[in-house]
Amino acid sequence: MSEDAGGGDAGPVPDSEPRWRQLLERLVAASAVERFLISFAALLLSVAVGTVIILVAGRTATCEEAAFTLVSPVLRTPWFSTPELFRLGFCYDPVTVFDRLFLGALGDPLQDNWQPLTGDLNPFRAGWDPLAPQIAITLRETTILAFTGVAVAVAFRAGIFNIGTQGQMVVGALATALAVLAAAPLVSGVLGTLVLVPLGLGVGAVAGGFYGAIPGALKAYADANEVITTIMLNFVATGVVFFLVDSYFTAPDTQSVETATLPEYAGFPSVVFDPRIDFSLLALAFALATLVGVYLVLEHTAFGYDLRTSGIQPESAEYGGVDAARTVVSSMAISGALGGIAGATYVLMVAGKFETGFPAYGFDGITVSILAGNNPLGVAAAALLFGTLKSGTTVVQFATDVPPQLVGVLRGLIVLFVAMPEFFRMIGKRTVGTGRPREGPVAADGGEPDE
Amino acid sequence: MSEATATSLTERLRTPRGVAVAAVVALSLVALAALGLVAPGLLAELLDIATSRTTLGSALRLSVPIALAAVGGIFSEKSGVINIGLEGLLIISAFTAVFVVDTLAGNGAATQTHVWTGFLAGVLASTVLAVLFGVVCIEFRADQIIAGLAVWLIALGLAPFAAQVVYGAPNTTSVTVPATITVPVLSEIPFFGALFDASPFVYLMFGAVAAGWYLLNRTAFGRWVRAAGENPKALDTAGVDVSRVRYAAVTLSGVFSGMGGAALSLSLGQFTGNGATMVNGKGFIAIVAYLFGNYNPVGAFLSTLLFAGLDALQTGLQNVAGYDLPSSLVRIIPFVSVIVVLALVGRTRIPEAAGDHYESGEE
Repeated sequence: MSEDAGGGDAGPVPDSEPRWRQLLERLVAASAVERFLISFAALLLSVAVGTVIILVAGRTATCEEAAFTLVSPVLRTPWFSTPELFRLGFCYDPVTVFDRLFLGALGDPLQDNWQPLTGDLNPFRAGWDPLAPQIAITLRETTILAFTGVAVAVAFRAGIFNIGTQGQMVVGALATALAVLAAAPLVSGVLGTLVLVPLGLGVGAVAGGFYGAIPGALKAYADANEVITTIMLNFVATGVVFFLVDSYFTAPDTQSVETATLPEYAGFPSVVFDPRIDFSLLALAFALATLVGVYLVLEHTAFGYDLRTSGIQPESAEYGGVDAARTVVSSMAISGALGGIAGATYVLMVAGKFETGFPAYGFDGITVSILAGNNPLGVAAAALLFGTLKSGTTVVQFATDVPPQLVGVLRGLIVLFVAMPEFFRMIGKRTVGTGRPREGPVAADGGEPDE
Repeated sequence: MSEATATSLTERLRTPRGVAVAAVVALSLVALAALGLVAPGLLAELLDIATSRTTLGSALRLSVPIALAAVGGIFSEKSGVINIGLEGLLIISAFTAVFVVDTLAGNGAATQTHVWTGFLAGVLASTVLAVLFGVVCIEFRADQIIAGLAVWLIALGLAPFAAQVVYGAPNTTSVTVPATITVPVLSEIPFFGALFDASPFVYLMFGAVAAGWYLLNRTAFGRWVRAAGENPKALDTAGVDVSRVRYAAVTLSGVFSGMGGAALSLSLGQFTGNGATMVNGKGFIAIVAYLFGNYNPVGAFLSTLLFAGLDALQTGLQNVAGYDLPSSLVRIIPFVSVIVVLALVGRTRIPEAAGDHYESGEE
């Protein structure tokens, strides 16, 4: 089954049609396209494995009535019919789950009887509203994930496994909330927005940047493994921030551990979309501009070149005159700053205050970045995909009894499958027949694993 | 280690490590002295807690999952496969163990047989996940760090998901805990009595650490594991299949971590899956423990005892009356100490070929 899902992206190959084959071969060879195909195949495979998990879970759970029934095929002829061998009821219906997860998050854009092959080309449902609240939520999640995704991407490109975006984001978020709360009484109205939003973003970036520079310095000057230190610093951030808010900054009129609410004008103003949903197109535009900016810095500046070569070939980078230690610290600081901006945006746009129990955008950022091949522009697409997943989770919760943690499982599966490009290359090669003439043993091993 | 190069390397490592250990001790003494100046009463209280039998008891109990995962991680990394996913292995086994015990017990109370069957089921679950990780890394040449992260993320999603499906909440119900083993006379000894009045998992940990040390340092298999990580080509030339040795080592990491995770949840009788789950970073602390212990199972156990001791100390501190210590701050002490230790140990000499894929060139 996994093979079907993985091979599907390579397309059905007609027998001996040279042009088709040439095209496919070129496709398999092209690295950027290949990366996209691998990400796409990984997504399909994750959905396939997710379907199995939903079905297994649906057998384990107890419910009044089966949501999905699998019946053995029955052959009926006028003379005889085969007996029904089994009829399995499942509490969860995987089709509904994925339909709600993807289409529900986009406000059900597709019409019921869209038949692209027979004439009716318009795929959109008549009453579909591109400004629907659920779409605003999807784009809101996309905005935050674009920041955490690009934060992770910058570090990964420099060859640093920054798993600490979560902590850097939380620190940035608290700093933003405190700075804006302190400055809010001084200004108000439109001027307040113009002053407080940039201030909040700046403070969040600086705080997150400092918090990110710590593991960077530990790696550069003490050779401490950044995977471990950043994970530990996530725990430290959660603990320290909880302590600070709990002891000093809790709003007097609340039971939970959170700061006072920011004034209405200290946030991104709603544009076009329903102001009741905490989403602003301006924030999304800012996120996209940031992605483009980071892309330009990475690809077209000397610093970006140093950063990338440090990631690919640390020895030759150093030989070429790159100060390795400084590059590590500065890329971690930039990564942390972007994480801090993610936290700031969440506070300014979504929460309107700092609350403990911050959502795990930082960990999702890892998935977004890996799925995007650590390319800042690819992050936009991957963030939209994950924004859809996150927003769809709530729709799934409304429509079915499937636990929302399913999306966490899918996240892990996607990372796993994207991490094993060789698996898809093997399948790709077996489907296409010929591949690049490299690494002979791959083809030799290729026959074994996929039974 | 019979190889001459290995000895010189060990010698080279001794010095910075010695410095690191000395620095940790010195830092703790300075911290204690500072504390003594600021709050003399608290220092006395702290010494009381540190030398109490309950602290040793809980330090040993807290050590179990970390030490077992660390021993498993040593095998994997020594063979050349860096297993960042220990945390995930702990999570999956912790959930499976309690789930199986609860399922076997049905509506009645779980018996000791049920508990140990659940333990084995937890080990099995972790081993299956570890084998999957091995296939992904060895067969499909995945980036080991990213694949390890994936193992963690999958388990982090799957265990609370399954708990939600079965129990309607991220936490499972409570099941019977295994009976403590008490040695009659020895358990009466003031401080060390805790060693003789403990959960069977504590004894299992001692056994596993000893067995791990023996297997790694005194058997042919252990030699192969070390060679697969240091010089796979030589091992290949000697006619041993590098991939098979690595598979065996990664599988072992699953077995040891599975014991750790199952012991963690079964000793409390419940799996809790909120947030970072009950495992809460223990798998990552295990990695630091074996780095600090220089890939020696005994060393890893001792550094685990250090971290677990700090953890036990912070639990004790929270109960001190009269000092309003913020628990959220005290709780991060073990994590901070991990960072400090890692910064002081600095570059740990990881096995030469760790993280690299090995392809036998003969075909």
